Amino acid sequence: MLPSQSDVSRRVRSRRRPACRTWINRMLSGVVIGIMTSAIASAAPVSDHLDLAQYRGQVVIVDFWASWCKPCRESIPWLNELRARYAAHGLVVIGVNVDAERSDAEEFLREVPIDFEVVFDPQGELAKRFDLQGMPTSLVFDRAGNLVETRLGFRQAMKAKHEASLKNLLNNTGH
Amino acid sequence: MAENDLKIGAALAAATCSLLGVATPATSVAAEAPSKWDIESAFLFYGESDSRVKDLSLSAQAARDFGDDRKLGLDLSVDSLTGASPNGAIATGGAQTFTSPSGRAVYSTPAGEIPLDGTFHDTRFALNGNWSQPFARLYTLNAGLGFSSEFDYQHIGGNFGITRDFNQRNTTLSAAFAYAQDTIKPVGGLPAPLALMPDAVNDDEDGRPPNRLGGNDSKNVMDLLLGVTQVLGRHTVMRVNYSYSDSSGYLTDPYKILSVVDPVTGDLVGRTPAPGESGPTGVYRFESRPDSRRKQGLYAEMRHDFSGKVLQVGYRYSTDDWEVDSHTLESRLRLPLGESSYLEPHVRYYTQSAASFYQYSLANTAPLPQFASADARLSEMSAVTLGLKYGRATAGGNEWNARLEFYRQTARAPADQLIGNQVGNAQMPDFDAVILQFGYHFKL
Amino acid sequence: MRKLLLLAVVCGTFTGCANLGVKPWEREVLAREDMQLDANALDTAFDDHIYFSKEGASGGRGFGGGGCGCN
Repeated sequence: MLPSQSDVSRRVRSRRRPACRTWINRMLSGVVIGIMTSAIASAAPVSDHLDLAQYRGQVVIVDFWASWCKPCRESIPWLNELRARYAAHGLVVIGVNVDAERSDAEEFLREVPIDFEVVFDPQGELAKRFDLQGMPTSLVFDRAGNLVETRLGFRQAMKAKHEASLKNLLNNTGH
Repeated sequence: MAENDLKIGAALAAATCSLLGVATPATSVAAEAPSKWDIESAFLFYGESDSRVKDLSLSAQAARDFGDDRKLGLDLSVDSLTGASPNGAIATGGAQTFTSPSGRAVYSTPAGEIPLDGTFHDTRFALNGNWSQPFARLYTLNAGLGFSSEFDYQHIGGNFGITRDFNQRNTTLSAAFAYAQDTIKPVGGLPAPLALMPDAVNDDEDGRPPNRLGGNDSKNVMDLLLGVTQVLGRHTVMRVNYSYSDSSGYLTDPYKILSVVDPVTGDLVGRTPAPGESGPTGVYRFESRPDSRRKQGLYAEMRHDFSGKVLQVGYRYSTDDWEVDSHTLESRLRLPLGESSYLEPHVRYYTQSAASFYQYSLANTAPLPQFASADARLSEMSAVTLGLKYGRATAGGNEWNARLEFYRQTARAPADQLIGNQVGNAQMPDFDAVILQFGYHFKL
Repeated sequence: MRKLLLLAVVCGTFTGCANLGVKPWEREVLAREDMQLDANALDTAFDDHIYFSKEGASGGRGFGGGGCGCN
């Protein structure tokens, strides 16, 4: 599917940016992923495209996960917790599932419920666009829509540090 | 006289499993529930044909993940060995009598049969522990300790290793080092190399049968392993390992002998025990092996998935300075049956060349070689294994499994070593064996 | 012996083949338990123990690598 021009929003700042930040440009110009539309057995809203422009002004965590990813069984409950704690302060969490088989993802969700929005990416197009270096990967965007952090892997030992940096981003209401 | 032989036979070498070959907790991450004890337990029966060795073994491997990829593995096994093992002497036209390993009794073999050491019974206990954890994102360190004990053999060893991932974890390099110290304390003491098998007599003044060196000896084994694991595609992974092993110390089997034969007829040289004593009715000498052995090996393995079925193929080449060169080719095919069970046929082919000092028998007038052994495990030999495993998952996510394998080993007497009547009549201690295993894989 | 070392070096050049492999999100098959290189660990431990005491050569299997590639 072609990027939707109507999703183009505010222009990014003109000063020179590191390569990773051009990804948000692509996102802002609209990455539309054609996905299956069947409903899943989960309370979380299902989406068939990822459009971050609508979350401008909020802090967004995009987490790539899969049913076969062992650390995801721990990272997802933690993201559920963060969302419960900080949604009112402007946190949005979006999960991107990269399972090739939708049924594998559904089985995982029966064991590990997800309280945030899930986007399905079975062909790995989103994963490719963000050039994921490993699984799981969490992308953190600040209120201005800039990609500020790419977290590779999940470790219990890093939870406190990640939460602290998240609070910082949430406190930063200006740009 | 009480028969208090506790012969180890085949189990002698068995205690010195290289720690690098023993299963370590998976440092590769698979899709399982976290933070529980994951236990593989099994009961195994091994039985050879013709009243030879029988082994009953109970084994458990427990693995636990402590979060953030820190893992502990514990292996425990208990073996009970009974039955007889070839002592290295050749079959002859007449009955043969030997002094038992303790040096205090005798045992006999009927005419025309390959001599087997008298009944023995031994229990072996082994415990291994291994810890692995990440250090920096792409490195994993692991370390382990192992211990095993049986009546006349003790083993203690440690290992240390490191792995490093490359290419988005498509490539893993690994290196490991292991060191072990084994103590051998054979019943009846250590025989002098190539000493004549004596009559069964009371102990000499030192409380030991004559012709014995001392009570115990030791050996050290150092192992080095370098490996590359490479993901070849979505459905295929392969690894290649290079291994180097250096053993030094007492490497001889203290219970094995060679028959001394007439240099023309090839018949066993007869002998009469001293008056009033019982003892061997033929001339036999204890074997002698070098006190050092250096091995190198190359192992390659591949796993390939095709629509849920997994084919595993492995090949190993090993060479050493005893001139035992071997090739092993092994394959398993896992065939899922519906959602919860599987069948897994298994085939293995092994072939080795004889050690440079392997001797079918010793000619009576030839000068004694420095080293000689008639142990079939060092002869030119090949073996085939055919097996089938069946596994079934339970509702709770555990698994029952059963495995049945048949093993056949055939050795070849070196044509250039056969003398006189031995030509065309050489009998090697070939055998068949059955392996039956029942296992239960569960989480605690 | 020299041939053996050469072979090992050649195989070691896998590390240079950055084209070989899969993307991190394409490891669903490699993550399966039956695709782990140390699957059948108990069976191979028993077998190695038996073959070690019945044959002249042993060991060499090693550890590490493959799998889901997570963390």
